[in-house]
Amino acid sequence: MWVFNSIFGKIFEIVFFPFKSMTPWIGMIFISFLTALLMLCVFRFTSHQQGIKQVKNKIKAHLLEIRLFKDSLNVSLRAQGNILRYNLKYIGYSIKPLMVMIIPLILILIQLNLWFGHQSLTPGQEVILKVEVDEDLSLLDTEFLIESSSGLVIETPPLRIEETREVNWKLFAKETGIHELSMTVNGHRIVKKVAVAQKSLNKISPVKVRRNFIDELFHPGEAPLPANHPIKSLEIKYPSNYMSLFGWRIHWLIVYFALSIIFGFALKGVFKVEI
Amino acid sequence: MKHKSRVRKASFLIPFLLALFLPLYAYVGPGAGFAFLSSFLILFLTFFLAVFSILTWPFRLLFKAIKGQKAYKKSLIQKLIIIGLDGMEPTLVEKFMSEGKLQNLSKIKNTGTYARLQTTTPAISPVAWSSFMTGSNPSKHNIFDFLSRDTKTYLPDLSSARIGKPKKYLSFGKYNIPLSKPEIKGLRKSIPFWKILGKQGIFSTILRVPITFPPEKFSGHLLSGMCAPDLKGSQGTFFFYTSDKDKIKKREGGINIPVDITNGKIKTYISGPENNLLKKEKELRLPLTMTIHEDKNSVELEVSGQKFNLKKNSFSDWIKLTFRPGLGMKIRAICRFYISQIHPHFEMYLTPLNIDPEKPALPISHPFIYSVYLSKLRGSFITLGEANDTWALNEGALSEEAFLELTYSNHKEWEDMMFNAINKTRKGLVTCVFETTDSIQHMFWRYLDNAHPALRSGQTKMSPQVIEELYSKMDTLVGKVLEKLDDHSALIIMSDHGFKSFRRGVNLNSWLYLEGYLSLKDGKKKSEEWFKDVDWNKTKVYALGLGGIYINQKSRETHGIVNPDQETKALKKELLEKLDGLKDEDKDSVAINKVFDRDELPPGPYIDNCPDLVVGYNEGYRVSWDSVTGKVNETVFEDNTKAWSGDHCIDPRIVPGIFFSTQKINTANPSIIDIAPTVLELFGLDVPSHMDGQALINTQEDSSLKKNKQRKKENEPRKSKRLH
Repeated sequence: MWVFNSIFGKIFEIVFFPFKSMTPWIGMIFISFLTALLMLCVFRFTSHQQGIKQVKNKIKAHLLEIRLFKDSLNVSLRAQGNILRYNLKYIGYSIKPLMVMIIPLILILIQLNLWFGHQSLTPGQEVILKVEVDEDLSLLDTEFLIESSSGLVIETPPLRIEETREVNWKLFAKETGIHELSMTVNGHRIVKKVAVAQKSLNKISPVKVRRNFIDELFHPGEAPLPANHPIKSLEIKYPSNYMSLFGWRIHWLIVYFALSIIFGFALKGVFKVEI
Repeated sequence: MKHKSRVRKASFLIPFLLALFLPLYAYVGPGAGFAFLSSFLILFLTFFLAVFSILTWPFRLLFKAIKGQKAYKKSLIQKLIIIGLDGMEPTLVEKFMSEGKLQNLSKIKNTGTYARLQTTTPAISPVAWSSFMTGSNPSKHNIFDFLSRDTKTYLPDLSSARIGKPKKYLSFGKYNIPLSKPEIKGLRKSIPFWKILGKQGIFSTILRVPITFPPEKFSGHLLSGMCAPDLKGSQGTFFFYTSDKDKIKKREGGINIPVDITNGKIKTYISGPENNLLKKEKELRLPLTMTIHEDKNSVELEVSGQKFNLKKNSFSDWIKLTFRPGLGMKIRAICRFYISQIHPHFEMYLTPLNIDPEKPALPISHPFIYSVYLSKLRGSFITLGEANDTWALNEGALSEEAFLELTYSNHKEWEDMMFNAINKTRKGLVTCVFETTDSIQHMFWRYLDNAHPALRSGQTKMSPQVIEELYSKMDTLVGKVLEKLDDHSALIIMSDHGFKSFRRGVNLNSWLYLEGYLSLKDGKKKSEEWFKDVDWNKTKVYALGLGGIYINQKSRETHGIVNPDQETKALKKELLEKLDGLKDEDKDSVAINKVFDRDELPPGPYIDNCPDLVVGYNEGYRVSWDSVTGKVNETVFEDNTKAWSGDHCIDPRIVPGIFFSTQKINTANPSIIDIAPTVLELFGLDVPSHMDGQALINTQEDSSLKKNKQRKKENEPRKSKRLH
């Protein structure tokens, strides 16, 4: 999985490379545009284009029917019934391309979450490091040796929480840069990267996980820990990122969703795709 | 197969199962967005419209009451359906009914009414249908023929509509950008009965009734019929593509496009409308590439961004074309292709470029969105007024089989539209005119006439069965409509005129020339089309159109030489004496029964636009093809050898139409001008005084009908208004 994640991740790094020092909006617009193209392609080749066209025409016809027969309540209500019927049929026609799209979309969204989901730390900011450990490991008896590079200070001793099987530290960001945090547990050494005030568009991996298909799928930013490692995961609690538009804070997913739909609808005529 | 099916199932199941493990937001991608956003908008809109319709319903009723509309208050019926079967011939109907072949029509005859229906003078569809809708004689609705003449140029004009150019332009480089709409003016006068119904709140759907282009505003829906133009502005110009150089000849009503085959490919074009956007107008053309697959007996066509295969001897579906005159503008058309031959020569027929009903370049319906609605509901459909391409068969561009296939395909489209309207009309009027009957009889009548000259030339693969099948199909249609009727509905089935054989053509212009009324330029013994070699300064009389004779009158025609009053009267009298009973010596038969003087026809405000004399030909005769187009020579009578072998532009007294009604009527001699008053009467409305016709409803015999308030004086006063 890691090989796939690293290749896929590299592709995104290449895609976003020109936009790293620009406002995240540019990168978001670009990736939304590419996604719209991909989705149009998928729709074009996996959906029943003629069927979609016919169903949409029927829906439009019955909408016009409501206007044309506005004095006939009977016809209007029947037209509304037909609209609902054809709407269901339309959704039915969309299921196949949606199914085909789900896998690539999930992978894209996971990658985008690395780029747009979290803010990097700023110098002077504190952050929690959370380590989840295996059930077999004795939380109180185990020694967690933790070290950091000079730009990062470990402010507190470990806080062990038996109930949730986790250990927490408070970190303090001192200098900008990609810092390394190393931890040794029962002779196993782990290295985790921590980003402090990087460029506008950063790839930030908040969690490093143990080898496991689903966990790796959702946390592809760093190489996984070995499967038999006593630590399940290491997480830096970066603050959530929002995109700002005229002072409004909008979740990146909403922006991505809206932009890719806008691009999709704008380009459907150019590529002659019925959606 | 099983393996494939498993793989397919798995390909759907895996993403689905995967999706179950994922956080919800992962689904909300743009792909889902495409579908769900559209669906949500539709649901929202539907909900909004539903609430809006229900909430505004009482207000609309109140508004109608305030407006004083008295819909259905005195109405005898709730719903009326009128089916127009253009040109259906009473003698054939009577014959087939007596043979037990038209059961549905017989049923109506037995329980309601059947009669022959008097037509108009002249007995031509645009004239008759205009009288049908206005309840008036032609002098009140201004339609006297398909063609009228321009008194300045002696050239023909379309009598029903004028399509002009925009009046204001902005000059920009090579373009003339129009700043106003082109003038589209209907020339038919008087008021159609559905407009009167609409004013009283009675809703109508009017489909394909001739002379309804451009569509007029009224309370109802209308789709234009006969006289709606094609995209080239003509009444239907077909295209014939051929690689056979011997077949390149002038084809009336069509354009030949010679093609060359290179390595199995043909690169040619579709000839579109003139580009009016350019200062120097130029024909718009669309590239058309065809790849011949001789092994598959098919051709791959590539046009306007579409690629499709077409088998030999089959019609394509409607294909959408987009012409681009410039400045981002688009003109849409629809057409159908038919490949009749691939080897040894390629031959292809292309229908006239119909106005696309989904994005009409000209208004063809009222309201404008009605044609859009029909198109979205059932797909593209023919919009050209003269829908059935009789000229293509006449000129050998279509075979008889292909013509029939195309004609019945058009018919099916109209049937669908009519039943859609009937199903949606609980109260009101539905009228649909089918020109199928007219077109097929025009083109196949010779099979009923063993003496027809056209049987000795051209295509003769069919039999009289074609006409019998046509009548049988119309009877089936009537049967389907009968099933839709309830106790509060009425049905009228009618034709505007009948049909007779057209064996011999009479070139009236040649006759006028030989008799010294029409003069040719010095040294000429014949004239080409449109009076090219006629000397107007010496011509007293000329003939134009399907039955009109005009006096070249001073102060009316540009080069008029006959004084309007006494001289014109004397000249007309002289012509009447000579033409009434004109004999075809070769056949020892009378060619002209009677010539009608317009001064003897019922008067009206537009009588001045009527031909001075209207010729009533005898059965078997009609104006010749050459005479219609203003050709002059020394031959008066000639055989008609064209497939167009039946006609009705003759003495109106011998080509009445048919009239069936589920209601009893009060006369044995109904006339087409009586239909409009009858409809008004059925819906309980007063018949306006400008209508010449009278209501046919006999309320005393039919207890379901209300008492007749007026017109019990029977036929005396109405006869004086009638033409015959």
